Amino acid sequence: MTAATETDRALVDRVAKGDRAAVRLLFMRHHARVYRFVARQTGSEMMADDIANEVFLELWRQAPGFEGRSEVSTWLLGIARFKALSVLRKKKEDWIDDDDAAQVPDSADTPEVVTMKQDKGAALRSFVDALPEEHRTVIDLAYYHGQSVAEIGEVLGIPVATVKTRMFYARKKLGEALKAAGYDRGWP
Amino acid sequence: MSAAEKMSRRDEMETLLPFYLNGSLEGSDLEAVEEWLASDPAALAALGEAEAEFSGTAAANEAIRPPADALSRFAKALDAEAGPARQPAASSFLAQVWARFTAVPAGVAWAAAAALLALVMVQSLVPPGGKGSDFEIAGAQDDLAKMPFALVKFKPDAKMSDISAFLDQNELKISGGPTADGVFRIAIPATTAADYGKVLGLIAAQPFADAVIEGRKPASGG
Repeated sequence: MTAATETDRALVDRVAKGDRAAVRLLFMRHHARVYRFVARQTGSEMMADDIANEVFLELWRQAPGFEGRSEVSTWLLGIARFKALSVLRKKKEDWIDDDDAAQVPDSADTPEVVTMKQDKGAALRSFVDALPEEHRTVIDLAYYHGQSVAEIGEVLGIPVATVKTRMFYARKKLGEALKAAGYDRGWP
Repeated sequence: MSAAEKMSRRDEMETLLPFYLNGSLEGSDLEAVEEWLASDPAALAALGEAEAEFSGTAAANEAIRPPADALSRFAKALDAEAGPARQPAASSFLAQVWARFTAVPAGVAWAAAAALLALVMVQSLVPPGGKGSDFEIAGAQDDLAKMPFALVKFKPDAKMSDISAFLDQNELKISGGPTADGVFRIAIPATTAADYGKVLGLIAAQPFADAVIEGRKPASGG
């Protein structure tokens, strides 16, 4: 098996035996997605940097206990989600200092205004960004992270039926926003 | 099918479309979506809308750029957590030099390589205390020099971290180089020509390898 084809699970097995090259390879494979996931969760790239690093240190610590019941990517996103929520709870809202606030989506431009300024694709992107966190996370996990219904349930710690309900309302809200902006897609 | 039932089915299909697009749908859900796409004229338009959401979400995520030095900072944090990495006895000085390369951008490392090699050569030629006649080169380094080897040129945009991880994983070591053309000598711990050939093929298959040239093969056949 070559470095290019070695599976994530085989690499985690190596990490469990103390192989640092393996944890570096996993970092290179998954860091960007974990970082983006946390940045979208917290609205802060500064927090994402710290938390993403912590996720891979946690991988180093927990590798011996990894049972392979889920994909490594799902496992990492679950750790990231837990850490992001812990940090947010701990810091409550006082982390939104001036620097971080600059990275939070600007609420001065409503989706409608953005739509007037830009094309449908850009408007859609802003509508996704404007979704409530619980809906946007489901959209991100499905569309960007390629997670299944069951895997999203695992990452977020919610039942499969709740994942589907959140996806339904997320897409419904996107459709309504598009409709309000003059792009009627026929559903909902 | 009543209008309410039809709407309910449409809602269900719209809910499943993102999972159809990301390839994670299976079983009866997959069959249901495929049947809907094949039978309802509105379904293909709905699929197009979901694809637009897919693109928009990907663009929103990829607009977030992780810091370029994330890996090197993580490596430091890992060392702080687990202690300094153990160096294999046989790799001593060159391995340490190579490990240091992995923390700097490729372009800088390539430029530094020639100067560092010169340092290695000076260290092996000038004995401690200036005594020459009774000086003996360290056994591990001598072993490296006697091993089968290949000549390898890496692509200019090769990531040092990728190369380092590959070498570690396959127990390969840099035993010399680079030449003026950027060619490195890689010691290959193969005992048969067949094993040697396999390792050469493995190196050549790596995305960071620009050229691989046979050097000294193992004495035995196979």
